[in-house]
Amino acid sequence: MKRRFHLSLGGLGLRRDVDRELEFYLDMRTQELIDQGTPPAMARRAAEEAFGNRRAVAARCRAIRRSRFRWDMLRGLGQDVRFALRGLRRSPGFAGVIIVTLALGIGANTAIFSLINGVLLQPLPYARGGDLVRLHQPSTAAGGTNVNFSPQEVADYADQSRALSAVVEYHSMPFILLGLDEPQRVQTGVVSAGFFDLLGVEPVLGRTFLPGEDQPGAEPVLVLSHHTWLEVFGADGEVIGRKVEMNDRMHVVVGVLPEIPHHPDRNDVYMPVAACPFRSSASWDDNRGARGLTVFGRIDAGHSLEQVRADLATVAGRMHEQFTEHYADRLGLTTTAVPLRDELVQRARPSLYVLLGAAGFLLLIVCANVANLTLARLVTRERELAIRATLGAGRGRLFRQLLTESLVLALVGGGVGLALAYGGLDLLVAFVERLTARAAEVRIDRMVLGFTLALSLGTALAISLLPALPARVSLANELREGGGGAIAGGRHRLRSMLIVSQVAVSFVLLVGAGLMLRTFVNLIRVDPGFDAEQVMTARLDLDWHEYRDPESRNGFAATLEEELRAAPGIQSVAFTSSLPLNAQPWRQFALSIEGAEDPEGLVDLQVDLRVVSQDYFDLLEIPIMRGRPFQKHDGREARIAVVNALMAERFLGGVKGASGKRIRIGGAARDWLTIVGVVDNVRHDGLGASIHPAVYVPQQAMGMRDMRVLVRSTLDEANTAALLRRTVAGLDGTQPLSDIRSMTTIRRESLASPRATTLLIGGFALLALVVTAAGIGGVIAYTVNQRTREIGIRMALGADRESVLLMVLRRGLREAGYGLLLGLAGAIILTRVLEGMLAGSGLLFGVGATDIVTFVAVSCVLLGVAIAACVGPARRATSIDPLHALRSE
Amino acid sequence: MAGSDLYMGTLDTLILKAVSWGPLHGYAIGRWIRQNTDGVLQVKEGALYPALHRLEKKGWLDEHWGTTNTGREAKYYTLTLGGRERLTSEILRWTEYTSAVSAALNTATAPVKG
Repeated sequence: MKRRFHLSLGGLGLRRDVDRELEFYLDMRTQELIDQGTPPAMARRAAEEAFGNRRAVAARCRAIRRSRFRWDMLRGLGQDVRFALRGLRRSPGFAGVIIVTLALGIGANTAIFSLINGVLLQPLPYARGGDLVRLHQPSTAAGGTNVNFSPQEVADYADQSRALSAVVEYHSMPFILLGLDEPQRVQTGVVSAGFFDLLGVEPVLGRTFLPGEDQPGAEPVLVLSHHTWLEVFGADGEVIGRKVEMNDRMHVVVGVLPEIPHHPDRNDVYMPVAACPFRSSASWDDNRGARGLTVFGRIDAGHSLEQVRADLATVAGRMHEQFTEHYADRLGLTTTAVPLRDELVQRARPSLYVLLGAAGFLLLIVCANVANLTLARLVTRERELAIRATLGAGRGRLFRQLLTESLVLALVGGGVGLALAYGGLDLLVAFVERLTARAAEVRIDRMVLGFTLALSLGTALAISLLPALPARVSLANELREGGGGAIAGGRHRLRSMLIVSQVAVSFVLLVGAGLMLRTFVNLIRVDPGFDAEQVMTARLDLDWHEYRDPESRNGFAATLEEELRAAPGIQSVAFTSSLPLNAQPWRQFALSIEGAEDPEGLVDLQVDLRVVSQDYFDLLEIPIMRGRPFQKHDGREARIAVVNALMAERFLGGVKGASGKRIRIGGAARDWLTIVGVVDNVRHDGLGASIHPAVYVPQQAMGMRDMRVLVRSTLDEANTAALLRRTVAGLDGTQPLSDIRSMTTIRRESLASPRATTLLIGGFALLALVVTAAGIGGVIAYTVNQRTREIGIRMALGADRESVLLMVLRRGLREAGYGLLLGLAGAIILTRVLEGMLAGSGLLFGVGATDIVTFVAVSCVLLGVAIAACVGPARRATSIDPLHALRSE
Repeated sequence: MAGSDLYMGTLDTLILKAVSWGPLHGYAIGRWIRQNTDGVLQVKEGALYPALHRLEKKGWLDEHWGTTNTGREAKYYTLTLGGRERLTSEILRWTEYTSAVSAALNTATAPVKG
């Protein structure tokens, strides 16, 4: 057995060992020769002569020994693993608890890391994705939001920028694809011809756009997204060259894209700008202030991001001088570039980091708990270990055995954790899908497997190092002292410290969960500005081909409205261009106010434009603050508008003074609109998002093509949906009606992301709480066990049950109290550090990072749980029979 | 061994025999072999050490550092249980071998022709 403890002989030790042995031989042999009469001067030489090549002998000896150490190590390891497995089989409960705890801790981290790996760490699936940037034109007057670019600006930046090798534009619109089995609504990315070359995306079929295909007069072509090719075209290998009708023109399919993250929108097809009827209209092309295009660029080789930013600022400065009317100082316009990679993950990053932090904290608690359990078990195994120690196992050897046990546990736990993470991956991907287009890239790959393995190994090291810390006194001594003494004291202190740190980390986690919960509750409580109950909605994209002119579209809407209204259970019917809390805002540029057409009065900024039917405000119960809503007699020629309160306050001199004023949207070519009413603000972009100035225009005047139908109904959701489908099909069997959802569903879905974050962090915190409670309970139970005799004596001497109960509780609560204080300090420091990140992330809503209510509530919960965890063992202490306890020693 | 006419393993067996009476250091083992084989084993004395380490690796010898009568530090080798078994079987094999060979060499019977 002893032979295996020569690990220290691996390097220099081995050389010395062999040299000393050979030297001894030569010395003795020399002496022998001298004793036999050889002259001392010659004896040494004779001895060496008889010995042979000393250096070669030494080298051979070393080689033999080295190979033996390697073999021993392997055999030792095998033996350790066998020992460990045997030991764990002997206490399956202990092993089970530890494996489950570790699996939860490692699984949580694996799952979150797989998200981080896919979304934040992997390179963009574009060629040299690191060189891609998105151009931003933020305006201080618009609260620093990006107002995007006009076609003329795009052309100027493309021509004049030196640090960007290419500049392309992009916007996205819904169109109807005809010529397939049924009309198909497709979200269409409208892009420069060089868009895919800039991204470095190679098509899986056909080609992408050619230079010149975005110029006026070019033949209309389409590139299909991978999912459209699969779902709409049945993965047809012959799709290239196929003609489909869109916007009254035939388009030729020229290519199919690979699976790439679609940014900023999930587009079904792409077309060059020349083919878009809106983009190619003069009103957009000729107006430098007509901003609304997203712009991407590729950094030219050899330039840095800083150089690009400086370059853009130079070009912008030139424009600002040349076209002063479009860049009024008041607007505070600047141009800058943001790496595409950052932009793609910008919304996901804070959530993911917070989740990783939470999972990491959970793992810390789990490690502390497992270390604690190991310590407890170590006490019961004291004899076994002491016997091993007397038999010659050194401290290193004993540690190695502990480590092997921990390794086995952690690897099994890690394996189970990996399975858990794999099982929950779909849910997590659904969660990040709301935050980033890169969600589809999340998978359990080699990076994730490596992470899990490293985490398991680290965990094993942590849980075997911690219990080994107090073993400074030799275990043999302990055996002689009967198992008590100094180490037990050291162990006990360590266990207390572990409990304190568990409570502290739990506190921090609970604070995080508490803040999320408060955010979520605040979001639920937000008044969206409308009444969602009993409202069903559906998407109706009128076939452009069938309903060419606004009159026919208005006619269809009017008939539909009439039919629906006549149906039993339907109280009111309305149409709108975009639903609250759901649709992408339709942001319009170039707002002008009559009588203020000097540069100061030209509000060259964006407003949300919404087309609504006359009953829209009434149906959603949006209060009319001034004036009137739209009415039936507001015909096709009505040039009127209703604005929201924010718009009235910001640009029109307040709610009272707005009525009667005239505004114009979209430049000089458009008509003036007279404001007839002001309605209350609606949280259109989300319950937690800020409100934008909004202008409503009547449906009759616009002849809406892509509309949302709303009905307020006393029927249940399924019946209302069936009624909607039936009625539309009865009017025109070829009309697609999609996206049938209740307004309450839309509202609930708008909270899906904060709900998921809250649930995840809350789940981690709950696990942490359970694990910590188990830890506290375990330590108290152990204390009671250790002090059975003492408690027995106390009770025999007349101590009553209450005082014993209090004594035990005090012991448990002292640790919880220290932990609480430590956690409080930690949480305050952490929230201070993270405040900046949290503030900008939208993770918190209506609650400060150091929210006093949360801190107090968390303290109460933790204390309550600590007391509950102590009560069980404490009551056992009070039921100790003094006689029995005294006899038991 | 190497260079010796005798078959491989003779040195190993002699080493095992040398320590069969109790722990010995390398020099004592070497001296015992020299004295008891009358110098028939014509090998360099240094060959002893790789053999010792090999036997230790095989688990037939145990080693530990100790002090000689003259107060010098020396590494001692002890026969393990496995080593004793090995020695016994080697002695048996050797005896069988040598008696078979000497019986053949000393016989008066001529080979049958045919």
